[in-house]
Amino acid sequence: MQITITDVHKRYGDVVALDGPSFEIPSGSTFGVLGTNGAGKTTLFELLVGHDRPDSGTIEVGGLDVEDAGHRVRERVAFLPEHAGFPAALTGREVLDVHARMRGLDAGDGRIGDVLETVGLADAADRAVSGYSNGMGRRLGLAAALLGEPPVLVLDEPTAGLDPRGVATFHGIVERIDRETDATVVLSSHVLSEVERLCEEVAILEAGELRAVGPVDELRTASGDGVTVVLRPADDRAELLDAVQGRGAVTESGAVIEVTCERDAAFDLLSAVDSALVDRFEVREPGLEAAFHDALATDGDRTGDGQSTEVAEVSGR
Amino acid sequence: MTDDTVPRPDGGYASAGSTDVTTERDTRAADGLGSGKWYRQLLVVAGTEYRLAIRGRWAIAMTAIFTAFALGLTTFSGSSVGPEGFERTVASLAVLAVYLVPLVALAFSYDAVVGREESGWLHTLFALPVDRALIVVGTAVGRAVVFAGAAIIGFGAAGFFLLGEFGTTGFDVYASFLLATVGLGLVFLAVGVLVSALAPEKTHALGLSLLAWAWFVLVHDLLGLGVIAALDLTDAAVSAMLLANPTGIFRALVLGSLGAAGDAGFAAVLAEAGLSTPVLAAALLAWIVLPIALAAVAVRRRRL
Repeated sequence: MQITITDVHKRYGDVVALDGPSFEIPSGSTFGVLGTNGAGKTTLFELLVGHDRPDSGTIEVGGLDVEDAGHRVRERVAFLPEHAGFPAALTGREVLDVHARMRGLDAGDGRIGDVLETVGLADAADRAVSGYSNGMGRRLGLAAALLGEPPVLVLDEPTAGLDPRGVATFHGIVERIDRETDATVVLSSHVLSEVERLCEEVAILEAGELRAVGPVDELRTASGDGVTVVLRPADDRAELLDAVQGRGAVTESGAVIEVTCERDAAFDLLSAVDSALVDRFEVREPGLEAAFHDALATDGDRTGDGQSTEVAEVSGR
Repeated sequence: MTDDTVPRPDGGYASAGSTDVTTERDTRAADGLGSGKWYRQLLVVAGTEYRLAIRGRWAIAMTAIFTAFALGLTTFSGSSVGPEGFERTVASLAVLAVYLVPLVALAFSYDAVVGREESGWLHTLFALPVDRALIVVGTAVGRAVVFAGAAIIGFGAAGFFLLGEFGTTGFDVYASFLLATVGLGLVFLAVGVLVSALAPEKTHALGLSLLAWAWFVLVHDLLGLGVIAALDLTDAAVSAMLLANPTGIFRALVLGSLGAAGDAGFAAVLAEAGLSTPVLAAALLAWIVLPIALAAVAVRRRRL
């Protein structure tokens, strides 16, 4: 189900939360919304799920205007808020039972058991939520969101506060949703590697403005196609430095030597250097991080195809 | 993403022809069947609140408090009761209830919204396709049932004790007192819910609730007596002053059922204001409904 965001403005008092972002989230994609704190990600999500109304502009979910639909938009959009929580006295199954009945679903048709299985909480289903870890709580929240088989799933900072194992489990669930369903997943995160791994497309917001939007691969490429070869010298650091000179931009960074060069030149470099001089090496491809910092540094918004447009200015602001 | 699948994130996925599922969901949404109907949603929220209050031992605690105070006062005043035992005990219990019942009701309700927000449960409920106002009303209804149950059992225990002591003569007075007590408690429960919907933090809600208790239970009557003593007020003004305070309404209801012209304080004047029992009961009902309606409006504007 496609989501279309058109010139949305929202301010709280003197604070401009959203300043006219416009972009489309393709149906069936996993889409990331990136930005620094206060960039407008949560505000965008609140408008998207009908918690608030934009001052101007429109958001459509599958052709349905969110402002007109009000709370009924959440029939189509399941939302996992960043600060979702559950009464400690209820069990995981009871929480999902409440959700099912609120959505008018038949709680007895096995769907609750299925989603508990999906998020890996089947064994803990009948334990009180008070005994759940942070990660289990987040997975329970995801299970609640999945219960209604939503065509759109909005996840606000879904892995915030999770340990690495919890993060990995969560990633696995989102990847499975991406693989096995045609649900549109929209997530925000501060972890760029997470977005890079899970999302096909991203939008980068800063101070309420759209700074970049497009497929992750294209944004990465737009930030340059150079790679960085990181070499840790074995014994003779000077000899290794001599060997890499002239093969790219050479910098010494602590115990390692970094050579930034074209992708093809990296293969040549690794072939040319005597392996006895190198203790360990690593090749870093251009990542989303560079695209993110580039986007924050620009004044206008940038699309994945490299075209730039000025962000629309709103009179009176 | 596959193009020929339908949303089945609960484990599997169906293949083609599958867009019918989305269409069905849309159809259900259009005719109001996509999510639970509003009264079902209200009952689910109320039932959940009820369950949480039982498990959180609020129900037991409130029942124990009401039972202990009611039985204690009944036993304590037993030696002085004669043939009019029910009425005297009700007069004593009414004085106790005016202080105790609002305090317990506010303590039980001040975190109904803001507390649920701080625990994250409100965020979770608001993510569902349900009007926020329903969540507030459901929360109030669930807690009201628990409170009413505790008050009826607690004060009812004293009633049974008196029933064994004096028989059924005068029990109707006690039943009226019991109903008025439940009504008084529900008013302050509603006020607590309103405070909870307005307060940004739980501690603020607690402070505001204590201020509300002090105003309605202590200050309003004193001010009212002072104004009546100092000014020559019309009956309408006195009536308005009474109706502006639910504890005054409660006193007037209870004293009216006793047939007494007055007890201490503001109520002595009120009996002459000409307010009938149905008017007083309607006013008490308005005091229950209005704060919850305002809370429902406030929570729609609340930014989490």
